[in-house]
Amino acid sequence: MRIFQSWRYPANWSIFRLDDRLLLILAAIIVGSCSGLASVVLNWALKAMFNWFHHLRHYWWIFVLPAIGAALSSLFLEKVVKEGAGHGVPEVIYSVSRYGGLLRFRSSFSRIISSALTIGSGGSAGPEAPVVISGASIGSNIAKYFSLNDRQRVTLVGCGAAGAISSIFNAPIAGMVFAIEVIIGEWKSVNIVPIAIASVVGTEISRILQGNQIPFSHRLFNISHMDILACVGLAVLTAAAAILLTRLLRSMDKIAKKLPAPLWIRAAIGGCAVGLIGLFLPEVLGKGYHVVQTTIEGNFSQGLAIVGLAMIAKIVATALTLGWGGSGGIFAPCLVIGCFAGLTYHHGLALLWPSVSWVNQGCFALLGMAGLISGMLQAPLTGIFLIVEITGGYEVILPLIIVSAITTSLCHYIEPAAYYMKELVEYGHLLRPGTDARVLSDLNVSELIEKDCIAVTQNMLLRDFINIVKKSHRNYFPVEDEETGHFMGIIHLDDIRQYLFNPVMYDTVFLGQIMNTRVDIVNPDDDLDDVIRKMDANRLFSMPVVVNNRFIGLISKGSLLDQYRRELMVQTSQSI
Amino acid sequence: MKMTIHEVAQCLNLHVITIERWIRQGRIPIQKTGNGYLFNESALKKWAKMYRLPFSMPEKVKSREYEEKPENLLSAMKRGGVLHDLKGDDMETALKSAVDHMPVLSKTSKKELYRLLLERERLTSTGIGKGVAIPHPRDPLSDAMNSPIISTCFLEKPIDFGAVDDRPVFVMFIFLSQSIKFHLHLLSRFSFCVRDSSFVEFLKTSPDETTFFAKIADFEKQLDRAET
Amino acid sequence: MNHQLLHIFRNNPLGRETLLQSIYFSKQAKVSPVIYIPKSNKFLMYFENDVVQIDLDNSYLSSPDTALEHATEVLEQAGVEPRFLDPKHYTASTLPDIHTNFDYMSCPRSISDLSSKIGLGYIGPRVRRIVKSAQFPVLITSPVYKEWESIAVFFGGSVNAFNALKVGFRICRVSGMRLDVFTLVENKSQESYEKLIADENLEKEMSRYVNTWHFLKNRTLEENLYDVPHNALVVLGAYGHHLLKDIVFGSKMEKIQSTISNNLLIVGPKYTAVI
Repeated sequence: MRIFQSWRYPANWSIFRLDDRLLLILAAIIVGSCSGLASVVLNWALKAMFNWFHHLRHYWWIFVLPAIGAALSSLFLEKVVKEGAGHGVPEVIYSVSRYGGLLRFRSSFSRIISSALTIGSGGSAGPEAPVVISGASIGSNIAKYFSLNDRQRVTLVGCGAAGAISSIFNAPIAGMVFAIEVIIGEWKSVNIVPIAIASVVGTEISRILQGNQIPFSHRLFNISHMDILACVGLAVLTAAAAILLTRLLRSMDKIAKKLPAPLWIRAAIGGCAVGLIGLFLPEVLGKGYHVVQTTIEGNFSQGLAIVGLAMIAKIVATALTLGWGGSGGIFAPCLVIGCFAGLTYHHGLALLWPSVSWVNQGCFALLGMAGLISGMLQAPLTGIFLIVEITGGYEVILPLIIVSAITTSLCHYIEPAAYYMKELVEYGHLLRPGTDARVLSDLNVSELIEKDCIAVTQNMLLRDFINIVKKSHRNYFPVEDEETGHFMGIIHLDDIRQYLFNPVMYDTVFLGQIMNTRVDIVNPDDDLDDVIRKMDANRLFSMPVVVNNRFIGLISKGSLLDQYRRELMVQTSQSI
Repeated sequence: MKMTIHEVAQCLNLHVITIERWIRQGRIPIQKTGNGYLFNESALKKWAKMYRLPFSMPEKVKSREYEEKPENLLSAMKRGGVLHDLKGDDMETALKSAVDHMPVLSKTSKKELYRLLLERERLTSTGIGKGVAIPHPRDPLSDAMNSPIISTCFLEKPIDFGAVDDRPVFVMFIFLSQSIKFHLHLLSRFSFCVRDSSFVEFLKTSPDETTFFAKIADFEKQLDRAET
Repeated sequence: MNHQLLHIFRNNPLGRETLLQSIYFSKQAKVSPVIYIPKSNKFLMYFENDVVQIDLDNSYLSSPDTALEHATEVLEQAGVEPRFLDPKHYTASTLPDIHTNFDYMSCPRSISDLSSKIGLGYIGPRVRRIVKSAQFPVLITSPVYKEWESIAVFFGGSVNAFNALKVGFRICRVSGMRLDVFTLVENKSQESYEKLIADENLEKEMSRYVNTWHFLKNRTLEENLYDVPHNALVVLGAYGHHLLKDIVFGSKMEKIQSTISNNLLIVGPKYTAVI
C-alpha cells in the first residue's frame, strides 16, 4: 500500500530530493502537453462554430447571435461553474504572487467553454487568455496532485501558460517569454528550463494535431531607412490605440455594473451591440485572424477612412464584448486593432508623401500588431517575439523593436500599470519575487514576536519595577491587570528615565500612573506592511502584539530587520 | 541523526513558523511527508552555509551560556589577598609598595600594572570617598588572566589621594579583571558594600583576613537575595 | 488562549441555531468565535496544498442589512465579544479569500434541497475537501441547538482516528467534560486496539482522560450507534478518502452522520495534533 501511495509524492524520491530540476522537467512535459491539448481543443471548437454559423451571416437577425453567445457564456460562468468575476489572467498572477500558484481545478476548463461560446458566436475577443488560464490551472493542479511545494508549483503554472501560448500561436519562444515576463516575473534558470521544455512540448502537440503552419505568412519586405524613421509615428498611433482600448474597457465595465440587471442580460446587451456593428463591419467579429491574414498579404484594399473606422469599431466592439461580461482575452483583438492601426498609418503616409515609396502595407500592419501587444501588456519582449514567430518575418526585427520599445514607454507613461496588472497594482497584490512587497507579505507577524518581555502590574511600585528593569533585556514592559490578565498599557524605559534617579519617587509612584495607555496594538493576523506603516507614521520602534486583550509579545524593527534580511537572502539567491 | 522540526528551528535560530513556511514554499531542502518531515543533515548544513545562516547544534548553545557566568567578590578577594600596614607617604609610594606585595603576579606584569595604575590616577583619582580608594588599570593587563583579582591593602597611615571628598585614604582595593565586563560587575557589587557606612567603620578597624572575608560573604548573600 | 473558530453566518433562524451551537462549542473548548458574514455567494480558502472554493446558497445572502445586527445580538446575549472577519484579499472582485489559520471551523448541516451546497443533509464534497486539506477539525453542528455534556471519540485505529483521539483529549482537558471512547469492533480483537494505543505511547493519556472505553460488538452500525449518548459531542477521524471504497461500500462518515444527529467534530489527515 505504501509503495503504491509513494508515486504521488515524487518530490520525496531520493533522486529528486537534493535537486528537483529533473523532476520539474518531467512535470513540465506533462503540463506542456496537457495545456497544448487544451488550446488545440479550443481552436477546433472555434473552427467548428465558425463553420456552423458561417452560412447564416447574410440573415438580418444575425446580430442577436453574439448576444446569445455572450449570455450563454456568462450564464455558464456564473451558474454552472461559479467562477468569480474578472477575466482570469490577473487571478493567475495574483495566485502566483500570494499563494504559490494555487488555482482551482474548475478554471482549467471553464474559460475554454465560455470563451468558445463568446468568440464562436461572433463576440470580439481572443482565445489566448482563456487557454493561458486553463494551462496555468492544469499546471497548478498537476503540482497539487504530486504534492509539490510552492516554488515548484509556480514553475509549473508558468509551464502551463507557456505551453498554451506556444500551442495556440505555434510560437515556442513567445510562449516562454510570456510566461516568464508576465506570469512569473523572475528570470531564473530553475524557471526558464522547465518553461522552455513545456513550450517545446506544447508547440509539438499543436504541430502534430494541426500541422506546422505559420499563422500569418507573408512575402518578404524591403525596409528602407525612411520606414524605420516612420516607425516612431506608428508607435505614437499604437500607443494611443492601446490607451483608448484600456480606458474604454474600464469605462464599459463601470457602465455595465451600474445597470440593474443580471449578469447574463448585461452580456447579452453587449453582444447585441457588437452584432449590430458587425452588420456593417463584419471584420470586427470573432477573433478576426482572417482579417490580419489578408492585411499582411497586402490584399486589404479599403481606403483610409474605412480602415480608420474599422480600427475604432474593433476597439469599441472589444470593449463592448469584454466590458459587458463576455468571456475571452485581449490578445487577438490587439492583433486586429494593431493591424488596422498599421494600415491606417500606411494610408496616411501615402496620402501625405505620395512621392516616397513606402514599404508594403503588410509590414506596417505587422509593426502595428507588435506595438499594440507591447502597449497593452507592457511586455515588450513578448510583443517582439510573438510577432516575429507568428509571421515568420525576421527581417522586420529592427523596426519591430523600435515600435515595441516606444509604445511600451508611452503607454507606461500614461497608464503606469499594464492591462493585466491594473487591478493587482491598485490593491497592492502584484508581488514580484524578490521585491520588498513580496518579502513583507511572506513574513507574518507571528514569526517576529519577541516573547522575552517581563509583564508588570499597574499597582506595582516604582521601586519594585526598578528591580525588574535591572533584569530585563528590553526597554518595553507591558502592564497587565492583576486579576483578568488583560493588557492595560505599556511602559517604555524613556517614560521613567526622569524618575529613575530620584529615590523619593520610588515609593510614591505606581506604574498605573506612568504607563502609556494609548498605544497602537498589533494583531497577529495583521499584514506586516500595515504594521510597518503604522510604526513609521507614529515613529515607533516597537509595538505590542495583543490578542483578546492579552499581551502576546513585542514586535520591533530590530528583529524585523534580522528576519527581513534572512528572508530576502533566501528568496533572491540564484542557486535554488 | 534524527531531528524534529523544532530542533531544526533551534539550530538555525529561526521561528518554527518560518521553517514551516519555507518548507511549504520550497526554499529549504526539507520535504514534508504526511505529518513528518524528511531531510538530510549535511544538505541542510550546506544550504545554511550557502545563505550564510548560522547553523549550530543546540548543545553548543547551552555550554557557551555556562562559561559566561560571572564571578563574585569573595573568590576574587581571596585570590588577591589582604595586605596590612603598607608603607607609603603619598599615592605613588603607597601604590608601589602595594603592587610589590601583591601575590600571583609576575615581575614584568607588576611593573606594567604600576605604570597603568599611575596612568589611571593621573586621569582622575580613584578615591571614591569615605577614605576608600579603588586603584585599577583602565584597560585589562596585557598578559591574559583567567580570573579577576582584588587585593585589599590597609595602609599604615592615611594618605592624601585627591579623593572626591578630599578625605585621606586609609584602604585601597586594587581591581584587576580580564575584561571590562567583569570589572564593572565586580565594581557594582563592591559599591553596594561601600554604600553601607557600617562597612566603612568596620574597615577602619583594619580587620584580619578571616573576619574580613566573613563580612564580605555576608554582603554577597544580601546581594544575591536582592537580585532574585 | 488565542484559539479561534470560524463560523459562517447565515442570517435566518436556522443560521441562528448553528451560531448558538458554535458559541456553545467555543465556550466549552475555550476558543473565540470569529464570524464571517458573506457578502457574495462564494469564497476561497487557500490551504497548504489546495484551494477550495465554497459556494453558498442564497439564504446566506438574504437581508444583508440585518445580518450584522442579528449576529452581534446573539453573540452579546451569550456574553461573547463579537469578532467579525473582514476578508483582506480578493482573488477576483466577487471572490474573497478567507485565511485558514483557524483552530476549528463550523459547518452547518441542514435539511436543504440544494444538494451541492455547503450545509446539507449529507456531507458534501466541499466539506470533505476542507476536512482533507485543513489543519483544523471541522465542527458539523446538529440542525437544532443542543448542548452536549460529554465527549465521545470514535476510535478505529487509523491515523485520523489517532488525531481524533488527540482532539478529544484536548477538548476534555480544556472543558473538563467526561470523555468516552467508542470502538466499532470489526474482525479485530480488543487487544489489538489496545496494542495500537500502546504503540503510539498514548496509554498515559488514555488512563488520564478516558472514562470508559466501549467496544461495540453489535451486528449493525445503527445498533452500535444507539449506544452513543445523545448528548455527546462526537469526535471522529475522517474515514478513508478512498474513492473505490466509497463507491462500493458507501462512506462510513456519511453513514454515521446520517444515523446520529449529534454534533460532530471531524478531524482530517492534516491536523497536527497537540494534546
